[in-house]
Amino acid sequence: MVRILSPEGDVGTPPAVLTAAPAVLTGRRIVVLDNGKPNARLVMEHIAGRLAERTGAVVGVTVAKRGGAATPSEPSELAAVRASADLVLTGSAD
Amino acid sequence: MAPDDQMPDMAFLDIPIESPEALYAAFEARGWGDGLPLVAPTEDRVAAMLAATGDRDPDEVVAVLAPRFGKATRRAIAVNAVLAGCRPEWMPVVVTAIRALGQPQVNLRGVNATTHPVSVLTIVHGRAVDELGFNGGLGAFGPGNRANATVGRAVRLVLLHVAGATPGPGDASTQGQPSKYTFCVGENVVSSPWGGYQRSVGVDAESAVTVHCGENPHNFHDMESDEPARILDKAASAMSSLGMNNACISEGEFFVALCPEHAATIAGAGWARADVSAYLYERARLPAAMFREAFANRRWRPWMHAVADDHLLPMTDSPDNVKVFVAGGAGKHSCVIPSWGVTRSVTLALEP
Repeated sequence: MVRILSPEGDVGTPPAVLTAAPAVLTGRRIVVLDNGKPNARLVMEHIAGRLAERTGAVVGVTVAKRGGAATPSEPSELAAVRASADLVLTGSAD
Repeated sequence: MAPDDQMPDMAFLDIPIESPEALYAAFEARGWGDGLPLVAPTEDRVAAMLAATGDRDPDEVVAVLAPRFGKATRRAIAVNAVLAGCRPEWMPVVVTAIRALGQPQVNLRGVNATTHPVSVLTIVHGRAVDELGFNGGLGAFGPGNRANATVGRAVRLVLLHVAGATPGPGDASTQGQPSKYTFCVGENVVSSPWGGYQRSVGVDAESAVTVHCGENPHNFHDMESDEPARILDKAASAMSSLGMNNACISEGEFFVALCPEHAATIAGAGWARADVSAYLYERARLPAAMFREAFANRRWRPWMHAVADDHLLPMTDSPDNVKVFVAGGAGKHSCVIPSWGVTRSVTLALEP
């Protein structure tokens, strides 16, 4: 038997964690955070609309990331999302 | 002292026998490794690797690496250096490279998350190249040199295991890239007419390490020219592809690795390193209309959006983004290493 060490090391503290998703979407505000990838806004706004139809949620504003998909959102963008959303749709797409 | 007291932040694994097959099985079962044979990171080997960095704290966090936010302690780095096949004397190079990757301007989270085939090029500069046995000469990009091969691999293994850059959940690269296995080169400072690269970026050190997040090398050759422009026009041609991220991200850097013969011809005409960068900035260009037709989304400097369609726009927005160093041996082949884009190279003095 040979003892070897794990190559992974410990996990540090992420700079932010997601809030738990609401259990019921009725009356909740859905916001799209657009990362600027081609067609990302089109796809996510469509999903937001379908989700609102099915649940009674409200589609709110779309917030566009100025820096694109390669960098984190600006604090002002996150503030805008935080102020206007109960549920955020975002993602990376090509 | 019990092992758990010696190494409080590391999990241990008992495998039935030290054989390549047993190690393969143990690592595959956990989703670890890069698919190549590994050296078992036993306590003795890891201790020897750590000893090469003096009496520093093995639990010092050298960097916290996205997307997993793994703590790259000296010990965790040492485990991966053993796995890669490094000799202990190369541990400071691996540690310095990982420290560089932890700098915010590298944007490691983006580097690991992107669908682009970006990998990490580690360049070793100065006295360390010869003293530690790195290859900056013939065949510098490989294969055949253990220091180049295993240090580049150790950096990748740290990214896989500590950063969590596992293809799929932690690395979205559409096709991957061969240089994601290993990508390390020595600078051929002996043949460089401009001295060591590190001093050109303000690092006043005898030895240094650069990390650059980019593509595989793109070769260009010129067997016949005896003046700089004709050689560098071929480099400019290699840099002017709509298929690379530099075409739509103007802040992206290019690394240009000139072979000694090309460098000698260019310097012999009185050109400084900065002249090479300035010339390539001027010559690696395409009409603005061509960029506009190719990309709906362009991460450009504001002025670049304003020019007329027939204006020749540069592939990068500053001559300072064209980084020139010398690598290789006899022959007239050089290469360009484009960037992922939203990342900056980092050069640090090699830790003593």
